[in-house]
Amino acid sequence: MVQHTLEDVWRREAPHVLGALLRRHGDLGDCEDAIQEAAAAAAAQWPIRGIPDNPRAWLIRVASRRLIDRVRADSARIGREILEVARQPADASVTPGPDEVVRDDADDTLRLLVLCCHPALSRSSQVALSLRAVSGLGVEQIAAAYLVPARTMTQRLTRARATLREAGARFAMPSGEELPARVAAVLDVCHLVFSEGYTRTSGEALVDVDLAEEAIRLVRKLHVALPDHDEVTGALALMLLTHARSAARADASGDLIPLAEQDRSRWRHDLIAEGVALLERTLPRGHVGRYQLQAAIAAVHSEARTYEATDWQQISLLYAMLSRVAPGPTVTLNHAVAVAMVHGPESGLAMLEPLLTDSTMQRHHRLYAVRAHLLEMNDDATAAAEQYRRAAQLTTSLPEQRYLTQRLRDLGDTGDHPAVCSG
Amino acid sequence: MKYVILIHSNPQPWGHPTGNYLPEYQALPDDVRKRLDDDFEQVLSEIQANGEFVGGEALGDPATARLYRWHDGSPLVSDGPYSETKEHLAGFFIIDVEDQARAEQVVARFAGPAETVELRPMMWPGGEEQ
Repeated sequence: MVQHTLEDVWRREAPHVLGALLRRHGDLGDCEDAIQEAAAAAAAQWPIRGIPDNPRAWLIRVASRRLIDRVRADSARIGREILEVARQPADASVTPGPDEVVRDDADDTLRLLVLCCHPALSRSSQVALSLRAVSGLGVEQIAAAYLVPARTMTQRLTRARATLREAGARFAMPSGEELPARVAAVLDVCHLVFSEGYTRTSGEALVDVDLAEEAIRLVRKLHVALPDHDEVTGALALMLLTHARSAARADASGDLIPLAEQDRSRWRHDLIAEGVALLERTLPRGHVGRYQLQAAIAAVHSEARTYEATDWQQISLLYAMLSRVAPGPTVTLNHAVAVAMVHGPESGLAMLEPLLTDSTMQRHHRLYAVRAHLLEMNDDATAAAEQYRRAAQLTTSLPEQRYLTQRLRDLGDTGDHPAVCSG
Repeated sequence: MKYVILIHSNPQPWGHPTGNYLPEYQALPDDVRKRLDDDFEQVLSEIQANGEFVGGEALGDPATARLYRWHDGSPLVSDGPYSETKEHLAGFFIIDVEDQARAEQVVARFAGPAETVELRPMMWPGGEEQ
């Protein structure tokens, strides 16, 4: 019980303790090491002496001392900023009134996220740093969530901090003209974390961190900091509306259940209601970006009582808008499905023609999976089987491969065919 | 995305790094050999330092393999090598990289004369339900 509370307090306070330190000493690596030592001290002392009345102030005080010790030991790097830390009362940053605290906390989180998603970093480093610094997850938890050894994750984090140092990245709010691109990067990182978590099937429950929920938590914090940012709202809505389907998307053995066959009574209607409400507030404002459009599509699905009752006309329209705002082969694939549902499979197949000559898409299983599906709708079982077989060869997802192979069997295919993967 | 890099080789005698035991490799001019060695060392340190390297192992002589074949309802054990082909699996590396293009960039620097380097995507346990 104590253990649980301690972790909750830590997860809640970590980004703000880190923010307080970073305000005076800009090096993320040094500050993270210092708050790590403060966390260890808390883990040793709190179970015996109890959690302090103001745990944040306690953590900031201890972490500041450790930071000073650490930087003093590295005498070449003593700078004015550190002497500042020593002079100021360590909990100076937590003195404002309660309203300001909420506001400051949100700004801290935003600054920290923007720092972790700095453009000098690779996507995987941005992801690792955000989960470490903002979500307060341990290196081992992050490594387990991404199915890599802790050593690999440690290297990623170490390199990321060094890159930030070299790039002169600072814990500060970006300028007005810089902010949109930086927030867009933060949203992409959060969405990547979400997808990684969401696409796991329930069969794989060995990991104690739910990345989808971590991502939602991050975007919620971002939404508090930027309540009027339409794409932040859109991304939050998209994640809630998608996460609502989690329980229905895979069976007990981890096999995927397609949208058409999901038990919709298992969808989380509280999350759907929240997502729809967020969208209703932001869509009329008119700055419609890709997250809002994807969320709107998810909302149309979630409002249909059955798959057959889906408003495909509306979905097709939204995909047409999405292909103008954020064009790409994946959007075309989904658009083609929607068009096929409205105008018949041949219209959908025609839309996919150009992708067949795209060198990246030629190796992408989704192109063949969608074609197979549309060919099946068009009663062309032979051609559908060939496309299912190709899709099954190309996918690297175990449950998708099982699903595609099953569709192939359902078509009465014996699997006794030469490989078609070459070329 | 995770990939495995498989090194198929036939060092004589069996040894690692395999290039040291391949006549075709040893016959290269010193400067060429040095460039290949440096290239490999460089990419290996690079992926270790940036957290793209997940793991890897060098394998023992294929002659020391024990093979288990199913025969009449029970395993029948014999000695290796597994395959009659010239090249054998000599070792493997696992990398976790952004995309296929990056994997290809890395693996190109694992290649050398008289051996085959194979890049294969690893399957993962998740998927999209669409």
